[in-house]
Amino acid sequence: MKAEAQALKGHLDVLLLAALEGGPRHGYAVKEALREGSGGRFDLPTGTVYPALHRLEGAGLIAGSWSVVDGRRRRTYTLTAAGERRLHAERGTWHEFAAAVTALLEPGPWPATS
Amino acid sequence: MAGHQLIDDHLADLARRLPPDAVDELADGLLETWQCHRSAGLPPAEAARAAIAEFGSPAQITAAFVRQSPGRRAARLLLMTGPLVGVCWGAGLGVSRAWTWPAPVPVAAGFGLALLIVVAALAVAATSRRSYRRTRLAALGGAGLVVLDAAALAAVLLLAPAPVWPMLPAIPASLARIGLTLHALPRVLTDR
Repeated sequence: MKAEAQALKGHLDVLLLAALEGGPRHGYAVKEALREGSGGRFDLPTGTVYPALHRLEGAGLIAGSWSVVDGRRRRTYTLTAAGERRLHAERGTWHEFAAAVTALLEPGPWPATS
Repeated sequence: MAGHQLIDDHLADLARRLPPDAVDELADGLLETWQCHRSAGLPPAEAARAAIAEFGSPAQITAAFVRQSPGRRAARLLLMTGPLVGVCWGAGLGVSRAWTWPAPVPVAAGFGLALLIVVAALAVAATSRRSYRRTRLAALGGAGLVVLDAAALAAVLLLAPAPVWPMLPAIPASLARIGLTLHALPRVLTDR
C-alpha cells in the first residue's frame, strides 16, 4: 500500500473534504470512509489522518467540535462553506485532469506532429 | 481507559509527546478501532495489537502532528519572509547612515542579541521533526518578532534626525510582518 499512500499525498486534503461531504464524521470514521470508498486501496495509518484534519480545520475548510461518547471525548468534523467551495473547485479540476490523462492513456493514434 | 493495557501504554507514550486534546482524540479513535476488531472476533490482546498497527507507531504519529503543527508552519513562514524584511531594513539603515543616529550602543547591541534569539527560536520550531514541544518555540519567536518590529519602527520615528526616505520599503514590510505574525500567533498559542 506504500505506493498508493505516496500517490495519495497530494490529494489527501480533497479526499478528506469529500469524506465529510455526506455529513459530520470523527477522525476514525473519516479514515474508514477513505478506506472503504477506495475499496481498501487508501489505507492510511489512522494516527496520521488526525493532523491533516487539524490543518484543514486551521484553514477554515472544516470545523471541529467536542462531544462525549461512551465516557470519552470525541472530536467530530463538519465541512464549512469554504470547504464546500474548495471541494467543488477541486472536483472540477480533477475531472478535467483525469479526462485528459485517460484520453492519452487509451490505446489509439496520437496526433501527428510536424 | 476501558481498553487493553497495550492501548493504555500506547496512549501513555503519545501523551508524553503530544498536546492533551490531540491525545484525547487519538484515544477515542484507538479505542474505536480496538472495539471494531473485538466485534470482528479478535481476542483482546490481538485486537489491541491490530488497532495499534493500524494507527501507526508513536514516532510516526508524532512526526505527522509535528509536520502539520501551527507552530512549525508559522515559524517556517516567518523565517521565509525574514530575509526580505531584513534586506529592506539593511538597505534603508545603510543608506540612512543609521550608525550616526543617537542610539546608545547597549540598546543597539540588545536589539541585535534579541534578534538572534528570535531567529534561533523560530529556526528550532521550523526544523523540528519529532518534538511537538519544540514547535511551541514559534510563539516565543513570533512574539519577539512583533516586539522587535515595533521597536525598529519606533526607533525610526524617534531617533532619525530627518525624514528617512530610504526606510520607506522597510516600514510597510515590518507592518505587514506584524500583521502576519499577529494573525498566526493565536493559533500557535491556543494549540492544545
